[in-house]
Amino acid sequence: MNALMTRPESRKKIALQGIAFIMVGAAFIFLWNDLKKTATAHIQTSSVSRISGTLPSLLSDLNLILPISLMAVLFGVACAFYLEEWLPATSWVRRFIESPVDFLIEIPSLLYGLLAITIFFNYAGIFKEIGTPPLQNVNESGLDVIPFQRNTTIFYAEALIFILMVTPVALKTTQEALRSVATPIRESAYVLGANQWQVLAKQVVPLAFPRILSGACRAMSRAFAAAALLIGIHISDHTTGPRGIPDRFMLFLGGALLLSTISSFLKESRLETSPTVTARHDSL
Amino acid sequence: MQIEEKEPILSIHNLSVWYGDDQILNSLSFEVQPKQVTALIGPANCGKSTLVRCFNRLNDFTPNFKFSGEILFKGSDMYAEKTDVTAIRKKIGMVFRKPELFRYSIYENVAYGARISGINQSSQLDTIVERTLQRSGLWNEIESILHGNPEQLSIGQRQRLCIARALAVEPEILIFDEPCGELDPIETVKIENLVRDLRKDCTLIFVTNKRRQAARVSDVAGFLYCGGLIEFGTTEKIFTNPQDTRTEHYVTGRLG
Repeated sequence: MNALMTRPESRKKIALQGIAFIMVGAAFIFLWNDLKKTATAHIQTSSVSRISGTLPSLLSDLNLILPISLMAVLFGVACAFYLEEWLPATSWVRRFIESPVDFLIEIPSLLYGLLAITIFFNYAGIFKEIGTPPLQNVNESGLDVIPFQRNTTIFYAEALIFILMVTPVALKTTQEALRSVATPIRESAYVLGANQWQVLAKQVVPLAFPRILSGACRAMSRAFAAAALLIGIHISDHTTGPRGIPDRFMLFLGGALLLSTISSFLKESRLETSPTVTARHDSL
Repeated sequence: MQIEEKEPILSIHNLSVWYGDDQILNSLSFEVQPKQVTALIGPANCGKSTLVRCFNRLNDFTPNFKFSGEILFKGSDMYAEKTDVTAIRKKIGMVFRKPELFRYSIYENVAYGARISGINQSSQLDTIVERTLQRSGLWNEIESILHGNPEQLSIGQRQRLCIARALAVEPEILIFDEPCGELDPIETVKIENLVRDLRKDCTLIFVTNKRRQAARVSDVAGFLYCGGLIEFGTTEKIFTNPQDTRTEHYVTGRLG
């Protein structure tokens, strides 16, 4: 009946994945301050060739991606719950949202990157300064890069683009997860006098949870894989960074590549659930 | 057996139901008397399930569901705007064709209805679980595995567990929607005996497409055909002296 209960393999997989996430998270928290200092010092004291190391760029990328994409995933899951569980099945809002969501899922991240660049070029006007970094901010090492300090306008713009990219994936997968919970299970709870919240909390969410989780993983992996988008945003973000476009490009390329690898890992290891979550008597 | 004229527990007046543009039920009117087994018979797709799903407002979840007419439960309109739907569903239970169990232990499956009604004391829950399992004749078979996974039960035991789960809420009406559709003859007999026992303190509505089964378990029977109620009366009359030729054809096996 339930993937969590009947499939030891997927259970093991969930456990492994959970442990991996916790380990990475713990390591990240422990090392954060050290890494931050090291990275800043590294960038500030190094020559251009040493700037393009993996660590500082990885940190810059994560600093950007993690909070926004987590928010976007939560937003997408919440939207899916609203669309599937509260809106009536015949509502026009559902049909209205369906096709744009499908469309946004199919767009490759490169195009989002181009969109980012276009927005920043044309509307934010940030790229005017490219190639002419302000000299008054140069410190004694000759460089003035503060990778963890962000321009708020850019933050909102990049949040917008990330949400546009990550939310549809989370929304779609969560919707499918909720639909996969068979109607008889809901009905047998309803006829006992359960209200909508009780059915949702006790029946639907536990059964749909593995699929929601794997959907969240997929959405996160999409955010991690958005190398093009990162480069697009970051070139404009660090106008006072290393001089010239190639150096700025290199600054974030290492991190983007690493994250893409993580992303492919996330995609490969996504939870395998049975096609539909149905009752166990179906297997008889 | 005679119908005793009491205050009807459920009365249906001119009920018509549409799914979108398809009319499923066409102006049905009948009354369900308390403490009796009312069987609804008829061939497949004649609207039996749709009819009983109106009684606990389960059709509310069906898109494009439209209805006209009136269903009175103990004299009050079930589809009135102020009706508390969950309270109605607690009073009108239902057992489906497929035994759909929750992914909890056997004990928790039975206790679920009590838990969502706000009973959380373990001593009270123990009493409810034991009583309802004994009522459904399952206690001796599963007493030792009460906290085990319901997956180990046979399909007939699961169906009786579903009945116990519905009884734990102490409904006034219990609807059986083809409860033996998936069961073998021996389990079917057990369920039928159970239905006859339950009649003492509960009103039962029994939907089936097996004529003999309806004849065995019910006091009153209604014959549905193509969305209309062709005939309604005591089981004896329906099966021995039907007034309508279609009923006669159905009970003698020439139709459906």
